[in-house]
Amino acid sequence: MARHFSETEVIATLEGLDPARLHAFVAAHVVSPVVTPQGHAFSEADLARLQLLCDLSEVYDLPDDSLAMVMSLIDQLNTARGDMRALIQAVATEPDEVRGRIQKTVRRLRVVTLSRDDG
Amino acid sequence: MAGDPYEALGLTKAASDAEIKKAYRRIAKSDHPDLNPDPAATARFKAASAAYDLLKDPEQRRRFDAGEIDAQGQERAQRRPWRDHAEAAGNPYARSYGFESDPDLSDVFSDLFGRRGFGGFNRGGAEDPRNFHVRGQDYRFSLQVDFLTAARGGKTRVTLPEGGDLDVTIPKGVRDGQTIRLKGKGGQGLGQGGAGDAYLAVTVAPHPDFRREGDDIFLTLPITLDEAVLGGKISVPTIDGPVNLTVPKGATTGQKLRLRGRGINGGDQQVELKIVMPPRVDEDLARFMETWRKDHAYDPRAGMNAGGK
Repeated sequence: MARHFSETEVIATLEGLDPARLHAFVAAHVVSPVVTPQGHAFSEADLARLQLLCDLSEVYDLPDDSLAMVMSLIDQLNTARGDMRALIQAVATEPDEVRGRIQKTVRRLRVVTLSRDDG
Repeated sequence: MAGDPYEALGLTKAASDAEIKKAYRRIAKSDHPDLNPDPAATARFKAASAAYDLLKDPEQRRRFDAGEIDAQGQERAQRRPWRDHAEAAGNPYARSYGFESDPDLSDVFSDLFGRRGFGGFNRGGAEDPRNFHVRGQDYRFSLQVDFLTAARGGKTRVTLPEGGDLDVTIPKGVRDGQTIRLKGKGGQGLGQGGAGDAYLAVTVAPHPDFRREGDDIFLTLPITLDEAVLGGKISVPTIDGPVNLTVPKGATTGQKLRLRGRGINGGDQQVELKIVMPPRVDEDLARFMETWRKDHAYDPRAGMNAGGK
C-alpha cells in the first residue's frame, strides 16, 4: 500500500499549512483524506495537492469557496489532459493511414482556415 | 538555484522584505507549474521559490548578504507538482468534464476511458493491450450513520447493491462528508489487476437532542423552575450515557455549562439551560408569586431600549 501521512506529519512537511487551514481544506472537500481509526491519512498525491492549495490560498488570498471552484476547474482540466495524453499516445501507435483519417476529421472539426484576403 | 536569488525575483539587493514577498507572489501567480504548463514558466517559478525560501527569513537573508551562506544548498526539497499526480491514471480527484452526459459520445468515451458516470473510475487502465490487467472498479456508496455511532465509533453492516454484506468499522468521531475507504472491497480486477476499493461517503443523521460542532457536543437541557431557583445536581444525557451536573442556584435560561471531556475525542459537551414552566400553574404557585411580587419585583427588560417607552 502506498505511503500515507498523518495529519501531524502533513503539517510538519508543508510550509504554510497549519491545523486550522488543513481542517478548512478538508471541510471544503478540496482534499479528501482516507478515514482510518487513527484519524485522517493523506497520500503522496494529497500532499502535492495540499501544497498547491496552500500556494493558491497564499498567493491569491482565495477564500475557501472560491478555492473549491478553482480546484474543480483544475481537476477537470487535469483529467481531460490525462485522457488527451492517453488518446494521443494511442493515435501515435496507429498506422499512417489511420492517423491520416483521424487528422483529417479533427482538422475539419477544430481548425479554422482563414482565407488569404483577411489581413 | 545557480544564479543570484535577487535576480531570480527581478530585484536588487536593496529590495525590502515586502518587495521580496510581492515579487515572489507576482511570479507564483503567472508561473505556478499547476497553472502554467510552459516549461520556461516552471523554471522561473522554481528559481523564484528557491530564492524566496532563502530571502524570506530576514536572518537568513542577512547571512546570505554577508556571504556567510551561499545560494546553494538552500533549495527546497524537490517538489512534485500536483499536475503530475493529477494526470496519472487512478487519480481519485479526477473529475468529469462533460462527455459522460453527451448522448452521442458517451459510449465512445466510456469505451476509451472506462468510466461509468462520474466517480466509478477504472483505475490504471491497460498500458499494453496484449497484457490486459485492469484493477477492479472502485465502488462508491453513501452511508448514513446515526449520530451516536458517528460520535462513539462502532460497527455497521452494509448491503452492497450487487449482493453481499460488508462489515464496516465506523471510526470514532467520523464527520458528515468524510469518506471511509475499504481497501480491496470494490469490484474484481481483470488479469493480474487487484480488486478495486469501496468508498463510503458518510452522512451523519441528526440527533433530536444533541448537536455537534467539531468535537464538541451541544445540548439544550430543560430544567424546572425549582431547579433553577434552588440549584442542585441533575442527570444530563451525554453521548456516553448520563452524568451528573451541578446546576447553580439561580440558574437562568440560556446559561451555558461545560462538561469537560464529555464530547468526542476529548472535546467538551456544552449544556445550555432552559427553564420550563410546570404543565399547569396551580393555586399554590400563583398565590406564592403574588405575595412575592409585592416586594421583590424586578425588571429583566431594564437595559432594553428597542422601541416603546
